[in-house]
Order: sequence, then structure tokens, then C-alpha cells
Amino acid sequence: MDYAVIGTRVPRVDAREKVTGTAKYAADYSLPGMLWCKVLRSPVVHAKILNIDTSKAERLPGVKAVITAKDFGGWTWGFMATTRDEPPLAMGKVRYLHEGIAGVAAIDEEVAEAATELIKVDYEELPGVFDPEEAMKPGAPVIHDYRPNNVSVEYHWNYGDVEKAFAESYIVREDRFSTGRVTKGYLEPPASLAYYDPSGSITVWAAKQSPYFHYRHLAACFRLPLSKVRVVQPYIGGGFGGTKNDSVAGDFCAVMASKKTGKPVKFIYSQEEELMTSKRRHAMITYSKMGATKDGLLTAVQAKVIAEGGGYTAIGPLSMYLAGASIAIPYKLANFKYDGYRVFTNNPVCAAMRGHGITHTRFAHDLQMEMIAEELGIDFMEMRLRNAIDNPKPGTVYRTVNDVTLNTCGMKEALTAIKEDPIWAEREHAPKRVGSTSFGVGISGTAYVGGARQLGHQSCAAVIRLCEDGTANLLTGATDCGQGSDTVLCMIAAEELGMKLDDVVIKRVDTAYTPCDPGSYGSRVTLLAGQATQIAAAEVRKQLAEAAAKTWNAKPEEIQIRNSVVSLKSNPDKSMTLENLAKIASYSGSGAVIMGKGYSSYGLEPLDFKTGAGNGGTSYSFTAQATRLGVDLETGHTTVTDFLLAHDCGRPLNPIGAEGQNEGGAVQGLGQAIYEEFIIDQGHTRNSTFLDYKMPRSTDIPDIRIIDIITDDPNGPYGAKEASEGSHVSAPPSVMSAIHDATGIWFKEQPVTPEKIVKALKEAGKWGK
Amino acid sequence: MTTFYRRLPRFDYVQPTSLDEALSLLGRYKADAKPLAGGTDLIPQVKGRDMAAPRVVVDLKAIPGLDAITYDATKGLTLGAMATIANVERSVLVREHYPMLSNALTTMASPQVRNRATVTGNICTAVPSADSAPTLLVLEAVLKLVSQKGERLVPITQFFTGPRQTVLTYDELITEIRIPSPPPKSRGVYLKLSPRKSMDLAVVGVAAFVVRDGETCKDVRIALGAVAPTPIREARAESALLGKKLTDESIEEAASAASSECRPIDDHRAAREYRCDMVYVLTRRALTQIKEEAL
Repeated sequence: MDYAVIGTRVPRVDAREKVTGTAKYAADYSLPGMLWCKVLRSPVVHAKILNIDTSKAERLPGVKAVITAKDFGGWTWGFMATTRDEPPLAMGKVRYLHEGIAGVAAIDEEVAEAATELIKVDYEELPGVFDPEEAMKPGAPVIHDYRPNNVSVEYHWNYGDVEKAFAESYIVREDRFSTGRVTKGYLEPPASLAYYDPSGSITVWAAKQSPYFHYRHLAACFRLPLSKVRVVQPYIGGGFGGTKNDSVAGDFCAVMASKKTGKPVKFIYSQEEELMTSKRRHAMITYSKMGATKDGLLTAVQAKVIAEGGGYTAIGPLSMYLAGASIAIPYKLANFKYDGYRVFTNNPVCAAMRGHGITHTRFAHDLQMEMIAEELGIDFMEMRLRNAIDNPKPGTVYRTVNDVTLNTCGMKEALTAIKEDPIWAEREHAPKRVGSTSFGVGISGTAYVGGARQLGHQSCAAVIRLCEDGTANLLTGATDCGQGSDTVLCMIAAEELGMKLDDVVIKRVDTAYTPCDPGSYGSRVTLLAGQATQIAAAEVRKQLAEAAAKTWNAKPEEIQIRNSVVSLKSNPDKSMTLENLAKIASYSGSGAVIMGKGYSSYGLEPLDFKTGAGNGGTSYSFTAQATRLGVDLETGHTTVTDFLLAHDCGRPLNPIGAEGQNEGGAVQGLGQAIYEEFIIDQGHTRNSTFLDYKMPRSTDIPDIRIIDIITDDPNGPYGAKEASEGSHVSAPPSVMSAIHDATGIWFKEQPVTPEKIVKALKEAGKWGK
Repeated sequence: MTTFYRRLPRFDYVQPTSLDEALSLLGRYKADAKPLAGGTDLIPQVKGRDMAAPRVVVDLKAIPGLDAITYDATKGLTLGAMATIANVERSVLVREHYPMLSNALTTMASPQVRNRATVTGNICTAVPSADSAPTLLVLEAVLKLVSQKGERLVPITQFFTGPRQTVLTYDELITEIRIPSPPPKSRGVYLKLSPRKSMDLAVVGVAAFVVRDGETCKDVRIALGAVAPTPIREARAESALLGKKLTDESIEEAASAASSECRPIDDHRAAREYRCDMVYVLTRRALTQIKEEAL
């Protein structure tokens, strides 16, 4: 393809502001007369709230407003109409430690926090339940009356005939896998500056990766039309799903306090508050039964997945959908049964995070497939190649048993790239043992859905406004929360317009001016906001071409615009600057406003949460990953030295950005695989700081190489699919596979900490040997 | 009750320019005053309300001469109270005469924190996992404690009394850490185990120091971090080696003794059993490393 901008390695459009520290984040905003808001949090994990006495707090000098649940009139929110179970502040009952009880707005942060300590709350403590399997048992403490069995979400899907397939299988294995309680670890905590102005409109400068979710939440909570809610998007310091796709207690309290006082109100969560109360990834237990033929071809999978949900449902219905819907990719599978349960516990609330839902079951199934291969004496790479879905021929579609449709699938090509790389091909020649360290190489092959569009969350939109000097403003509702999408969207606009990249300017989302957008989640922005931008730009280009054609007495098809120069294809001597053409187009006759608009249309296939049939997004990425690492057989420490990822993102639009995303996803997956986990004891998080919640440091990161597998998917701009969540999903099984190679032990529980390795080595009689 | 303050509470800040002035402030305010060196422990603790807000913070940084690092073949090394971890770690004198101390300090925190924090501060905070402590224990450091009433010398083996507790009284400052010259034919090693390669807490720290006479060990000092309420010397492991040659067998015996003697806590950072196992592994590794180093 002959692209001028797409596929070139360009610096981010926001690099200068971020590097020089001039980029403003939510916490950097302030207004004159601003108050500060702090949230009083529950010291108990499960209790009835008998009484809240705010009188002493209200009398503290400097306190301007105290908010409790009753201010919100019983309003609750949630992902689906049937699961709106979460109130802004605990309403009658506390369901997890440090749930918000009250909000205080005061003249400064310290007075506000001190006032929270003066609020007297009477609790009647209730027995708690902290393990999802315990919570499912009859007689367990009930957390929500509307779900007396504590199951917040439940799916039972059945495709093919698993019983028959297992009966006919040469081998059947049953294992229990689990993933840990992990957090996103972004640098920027939840924060917002809110102003409920005298005209009755809300404006917030809030740290949100999906500002239009927040805009709907505020409109619903404060019973205002959407036109009176304005979310102005600051720069965002990382999102990774969950919390910044949602609203937090501080958001609602700050707006309510502003409404009560008429003053702007700001809050910033402390890091510990973020770690203790914000939404983290579900921990999931997967009981998996897998069958195969003698040749290692998969026959059936039966997965019972039990997810710990914490105190509220949040986005749980989608998490459980994704965990099940991905079972039949990237390996051919004619029969599967999925029983998914998301269970309430008295732990903090679990929600989406990078690799959402899919990471749990793909981890289980990729590893279990290796276990079967080991029993059958089949090479792990060969096992995957035998089962991997073939790349459909152009114009054809591969359809899984649950109607997931693939237009492109680079799984086999990715696996082959790993197979031929020395890290895998020459692994037998690399040292196996140095001192007490045993080295191993492992692989994985996984899939991830991109371009998420589910149920109500539909199109992205874009508007491009041409300026008379030949530059352009790009408006979208899509949020760059750090992933680099603003850069990619500008590249797309520049490509279509034939404009220099620097001449396309994008600003942050402002719901008062930018078109509505679902948000940044499910690896959707490049695909869907990208398509919208492409269409909007094409509309502007068409108007420009018509104006040029008129000027030169030519046909619009003959007009070429590239690098901000306009020329006639048939006569290259005929040319002018884009600035000149923009003036002609804007000022001819009565004048014109040159604008283009577009909205995305990829992936309109149906989707059914009840049966698990259909597509949750527009396309699927495929990742093969090799990991080389050493395990110290005495201390149990794992040192990962190499990651090699062969990733099918269709086509990388900004290769630097795609690499960064793939690297970041893989490193976050490494954290989940061997380092990170919240340790919770009776609902109390014991490691609520980054001192004790062990994210890998830069010194723990392996050398990472990325191989791009180009498949040019028809459901993405310029063939693009997702990058970053796929590599997050591929990392844990690849790491586990390598640890198995190094130790001979299968670890089925994340994270595989040094302590777990030593324990397993001792049990196997291999410690220090 | 858990609070989520993000900023420091109010307190008075004083920056004395002489030791006498500092000691007089501490003498006057006693428990209401907190001396400030690098602040890398004090500030986060006060900010997080893990300790009561001090009424007065007495910053020691403007007192001349407190950051000196001096060496004398007979007196040994003297570290002034305000000597930063980075300056001690990088000191040519320390690298030449006490390489194990330099190496131990390199395992601590981040370069930024080491530029700010002091070795004395690490000792005064007195967490069981303090990385400088096991090394200072085996090097038999002596601390000079000074108050308005006078001064006293306290061997570091007698300094720690419990987690975050020491014999230091409110009106006293440590002004010097004195470390005797290592005897000839001595070798020492500090090994730290933490989940991550850098900027992490020790799950176990082991310092071993052996003085040999010919091939026999005529002095053996082993100290452990993070496995007891304070950093400790491990007498049984030491005596297991004393008068013996360093062999795989004698090392094994000492490592087993160290492991069976330690009494770590069981917490979210590590289980007791794992910590004991790692005391064994690290003690063996440290002693083996000493054995293999040429004298």
C-alpha cells in the first residue's frame, strides 16, 4: 500500500506536553473559591447502617457540606438495567471495606478529612463471605437481597455435544486454574473538579477514560438532560479499564456538594484509597475439562468459571460474557459448554481490566492444551499448529460454533514466526542450567476481541473542520487515556486529507462540543473512532477535490492531494498548496463551511449474552508468544530474560505506538503471572500500597521483541485490528509454559510467586536440586 | 480509623545550624520533636498518619560536618549522621576497606532515595528488614549517641529493641557510626532476597563475615534481617563454624543452624516457612561465596 502517513513511525502528538510537564491532568485543575471533598469510608466489611450522625462534622469550622446516601434519593447505577445495584454512597448497608459512607466538602482537604472523622456511624455488623465458592453455598451470608444465592451474573451456554465428544475422546483432562486479584496500577488516581453552576448545568474536569459513561451517570443521578452535563477531558494518566470507565463515590459527592454550596468542588483520591476501593480485575477460578483425539486435535471443552465479584455487579455481565465467548478461539473447537458464575463477596468490587474476561479462560485453556500435549507426547508448538484456526481466504469468513466470525486469523502465521525464531528453534542449544538456575522456554497462542461494541454501546463519531489555511481540526468523543489514539486518529485524518500530519489538530474530549462516543475500552478506539475519522476526512477531501476540479476544469477523480500539495494526476505541472485550495473552497461564491462527519459501521452483527452467540467486537487479534526465563531452584525466583511476540494486529498504523502497546500489555501480563496480587484477609486488603503490591520494576522487564503479522482485516481502517490486550492475554500462559519447562511443574494458579515455586519444588522433592 | 490524607499535617520546622542547638531543641520538645535527616522514612509516615504529627521537626541538614566520612587504619571508618547512603556507597574509602557495606547499600531503595536518605536514618527507623543493619552488625559497628546531658557509645548489637524501637531516647541523636577496621584475612558478604530486582524490601537479608587463621575460621559473624523483631546476630550458626574450616559440610551445618534458629513472622510479605528456608539458602550462599573468594 502506498500510504503517506499510515505505517510511518511518528512521535505522539501529545509528546511535547507530556514530556515537558505542561499537560494538565484532572488533579491540576482548580477554580476560585473551590472546596475540597473527602469521602468517609466504612471500617467494617459487611454491616447494616443503623444511623449516620453528621452534626459534629457539620459544625467543624470550614465544613461547607456533608453528603450521605439519602441526598441521592435512592439512585443506583450499573452495566445493565437488571444489575443497577451500586449507589454513590452505601445505602442502608455496607458491602465491602472502605465503601463510601459520606462525603464532606470543606475549605481545604485536611479540614474535609478531619470532618469525616467526626461523623458518627452506627453499624450492625453482619457475617461476611470472602470466597466466591463459599458464597455460592446455601446458607452463606446474603450480600444483596435481589440475589439470594449471591450469584450476580450467571450464564449457561452449550454448543455441540460435549458429553458425546468427551466419550469419543482419546484423552480427557480436568484441572482447576485460577487468576489473582490484580489492579491496573495507573499513576493518576481518580480525581475531578466539579461545578454545578447557577444555571443548573454540571461541568466536570474528571479523570475518565470513557467520559460519556460518566456524562450519562451524572445526568441520571442528578436528573438532568444530557445537554446540561459537560465532561471536559483533561489528559489522562492511564486507564486500563474498570475504575476510569466508571464513576466513583468522590465524583457524585463532589457534584452534590457543588450543587448544595454553589461552589466548585474538587477531590483527589490518595493512592491507598485508590488501591483499597477502586475496581480491580476479577479473580476467576476455571474448572476446565478438555478432550482431544490421539493426534491432539481438540474435541470439547467444558468450563465452569467462578468469578469473585466483590460487593457490586459493575460491568460483571460483560466480564463473564467475554470469559465464555472466547473459548472457541484461536483453536478449532466443535463442542463447548460454559457455565459462568459471577459471585458477590464482601471484598472490593471487581470489574474490567486490560485483557478483560478473556485472560482467565485463555490462560486455563492454553495451558491445559499443553498438559494434554505432554501426555500425548506431542511437541507444544505442533499441538498448537494442529489446532489453530486457519486464516480465512479473502472474502470468506471462519465461523466458530458460537458464531464468532473471523475475517482474518494470523494465528498460524504467528506461531510459525515463533517456531522459526532461534528462541524456539534453538532452545535445546541454549544453556539449561547455570548454578541453581534452571532455564526454560515456553510458548502460548491466544486471541483477543477488538473493536468492542456491545448492545447499547455503538458507534464512534468524528467531525473534521477544515480551516481556511489548509489545516484541520479533528473532533471526536474518543479518549486517548495514554494508548496513543489521538496520534493514530490524526494520522488517519492526515492520510485521507492528504495533509501534513502536523496540520491536523485534535483536542481533548468535551461533551459539550465533541460527538458522543462509547469510550476507551475493548481495544476499540483505533478501529471505530478510526473508521469514523476516515469517513469524515473522506467527506472533506471530496469537497476539496470538487473545488479543485472546478478551478482547473477537471474531474474530481483527477485531483490528487498529498503532503498538503494539490495536483492534477494527468498534469503534474498543475499544482497548488492545500492552503490555496482551502481558501478557494471556503471563499468561492457565497462561501462554504468545509466539514466532514463520519460514524463507524463495522461489526453490526448481533450478539446474545444469554446464549454466548455472536461477536462482541469487530475483529480478533492473535498473538503467539515465546518466553525465556530462569528459575532459581533454591529461592524460587523467576527471572524473565526474553519475550518474543508475534502479533496479528491486522496492520500497525503507527508502528511505534503498536509496539509500545504490545510491550506494555505483555509486561502487565507478566506482573499478573508472577508478581502481582492483592492479599485479602477477611475482606481487608493487606497490601494496599505499591511497596507491598508488587508490580514488576523496570529492572524486572525482559528484552521484548515484536514481530508484526500483517493480515489486513476488512473490518478495520487500513486493515487494523487491536494491539495491547492481545499481548496481555498471551503473556501469562507463555510464562507458565516456560516455568514448566524450567521446573517440570505445572503451575495453575496466578501469580506464581517464589514462595509457591519453593513449596511446589519441596513437594516434588526437587527443592535446591 | 483509616484515613486517606494526601498531605502533611501542620508542624513547626526548625533548621538549627549547630549540634548544640539541635540537641537543645530535642531536649526541650522531647517526644514532640522529630529529627529530620533524609526524610524518606519520616515524611511518608507522618503524611500517612502512621505516627502522630510532631510539633517540631528539627532538620539536621544545616549542621556543618555531620555528613563526614573518614577512615583511619587504627580507628576504622566513621560515618557522620548525615552521610547519605549514596555518598557512603560510593566512597572510595568504603569501597576499598568495607566492600560489603558498599554492596549492601547498593541493594537499598532507588538511586533517588539513596541520594537523600542516610545510613544513620536507616538504623534509627529500625525496621527488621533494614538493609544496612545486618552488615553493620557483623562489622560490629558502634554508635555514638549524644544528648545535652552527654554522650554514650552503644554497640549496634545492643541498639535495636523491637520493630521500629531502639535504645535512642527522644533527646538523643546518633552523631556517628564507627566501624572498626576489618581484621586481616577477613571477608564479608551481604545477600538480600526480595521479590523484585530493585527498589524492594528484603524478605530475608543475610550478612556473613569470617576471619580466617590459615584455613580455620577464627571469628565468624552472621547477622539476619527481616526474620525477627529486630535485625539479629545468629550465635548458633556462628559457633557452628568457629574453629572449623569452611567446607561444604561446615557451611551446611551453619546454614541449617541459622535457619532453625530464626523466628520470622508469617505475614503478607512471606510465610514463616519460606523465610526460614531462605535464611538457609542465603546463609549457605554467603558463606560459600566467602569460601570461594581468594584471601
